[in-house]
Amino acid sequence: METNLIIALVVFAAVYALLIWDKFNRAVVALIGASALILLGVLNQEAAIHGIDFNTLGLLIAMMAIVNICQKTGMFQFLAIKSAKMAKGDPWRILVALSIVTAVVSALLDNVTTVLLTVPITFLITDELKVNPYPYLVAQVLSSNIGGTATLIGDPPNIMIGSAVGLAFMDFVWNVGVIIPAIMAGTLIPLKFVYGKKLKVSDEIKQRIMAFNEKDALQDRPLLIKCLFVLAITISAFVFQKPLHLEAATIGLFGAAILMLITKEDLHQVMEKAEWTSIFFFLGLFVIVHSLVEVGLIESLAAKTLELTGGDMKVAGLTILWVSAIASAFIDNIPFVATMIPLIKGMAPGLGGPEAIMPLWWALSLGACLGGNGTLIGASANVVVAGMAHKNGHEMSFIKFTKLAFPLMIISIIISTVYMYFRYFIG
Amino acid sequence: MIAANIMTKSVLALSPDKTVIDAMKLISQQKIRQIPVVDSDNRVLGVITPRKLMKAILPKYIAEGMVEDVRFAPELPEFSQNIDSLAFKKIDELLDRDFVSITPGTSTMEIAALFVNSKKPIESILVLDDKKRLLGIISPWDIFKKLWDYADKKRNN
Repeated sequence: METNLIIALVVFAAVYALLIWDKFNRAVVALIGASALILLGVLNQEAAIHGIDFNTLGLLIAMMAIVNICQKTGMFQFLAIKSAKMAKGDPWRILVALSIVTAVVSALLDNVTTVLLTVPITFLITDELKVNPYPYLVAQVLSSNIGGTATLIGDPPNIMIGSAVGLAFMDFVWNVGVIIPAIMAGTLIPLKFVYGKKLKVSDEIKQRIMAFNEKDALQDRPLLIKCLFVLAITISAFVFQKPLHLEAATIGLFGAAILMLITKEDLHQVMEKAEWTSIFFFLGLFVIVHSLVEVGLIESLAAKTLELTGGDMKVAGLTILWVSAIASAFIDNIPFVATMIPLIKGMAPGLGGPEAIMPLWWALSLGACLGGNGTLIGASANVVVAGMAHKNGHEMSFIKFTKLAFPLMIISIIISTVYMYFRYFIG
Repeated sequence: MIAANIMTKSVLALSPDKTVIDAMKLISQQKIRQIPVVDSDNRVLGVITPRKLMKAILPKYIAEGMVEDVRFAPELPEFSQNIDSLAFKKIDELLDRDFVSITPGTSTMEIAALFVNSKKPIESILVLDDKKRLLGIISPWDIFKKLWDYADKKRNN
């Protein structure tokens, strides 16, 4: 047992170090770590497979398939253009409108897909306006991560937490989603002070935005109707997830299957575009973290953490919130959350059982998802948008982004702290 | 039949220090799909194609395919102005270095297969010797017409 513990710890540390080094593909690193644990006899394959959360994997794959089909309709471009026109072509109001669209779409889809689809429209709009796209890109990155925090399906940490703890879609909406509008405001208002004055154009130029025809973005009406239909039933099923007694993956995969059935899309193409590297990254991580549980490391860590918090829910909750936020600003929040989940579960008995520690899950969700806004490498959406900006000759450097984004992230965590304090910890 | 039999031997080529204006003069004089760009040793450095020139005047996010279809957007005022900025650019900067080339001994069947199966649309294929020096050029019509004439002759005999 003692040697297994050491091996598991070494493999875990090596995997984490390699992930931070970011030299090799993260899926390959996780899979090598996972198979090394099996090869070295820390756990057998059966136990390893037992550690994989197939509910998370199923939901991720399902959402990828649904998005892959839906994006062909141009509905996301439509939303972005429509919002800019509703802002009447005013640059600042367009920034707010695009941020809100990005946040709402990110709440329902994965953040990277959202920015990949909406940022090119931002470039088009800022070119028409002849304004610097940089403020828009920053606002969209931040909004994407903030919006993703709002729901179970918005961001991988929430999918993992929801799946491991058995939380439903509406649980996230009521406990995390409700504070998201305040966090959006707490992010956009400071941005107004930083960029608002620069974002002014003549009425003539505003008219250019009104010349966009968002309806032309909708390319395939029959497909659009089918996609909207499936999105409507899938999201309704998520809303009624609890009374329906359904796991998230069941709803997602059912929605994806129905969509593939009625659209007769080429399944190969749909499946090919799924983010398989992410799926295998999750798979490997689940095995690695499970080995830490098996060797008893998480249990003793949980006991230590419990001791440090003095068995006080308020201390535990706010510590998790802040530590998750700072950690997620610098390291990938997925392995962090994967490790934290069993740790928090291990703390439950000392804090009054699974029901009593619910606020800790909301603290983990808020911290891990919002923390990604702290630096340019904090979340995938940040890295992707920086890449798109670079290709278009706009540098989004680590320092430049972090200088603005880190304080904004801290504001979002302060808002979360106040919210958690009054909602869960008062009295 | 092999490439050497069907290629057009007198190929117009430009040196890399010429400008886009020079390239456009050549294009309006001759109906050609791409212009090979060669160094002083007649070694091919790349080709100039209308595709590449259009790519240079489009915004990057469109040219790179981040958004492929822009039918919903009004034309950017800068779009046509970008052409002016292109005029005095050295063609060296606009070279498409990813061109398709073959040796003179390549069979016509292989050439036909290249035209049909290439992932990137091929304007024409360059025929180079083993030192990468330009010998000739083959357009899709060149090869098809040669094959057609050959078959015609056989039929008539």
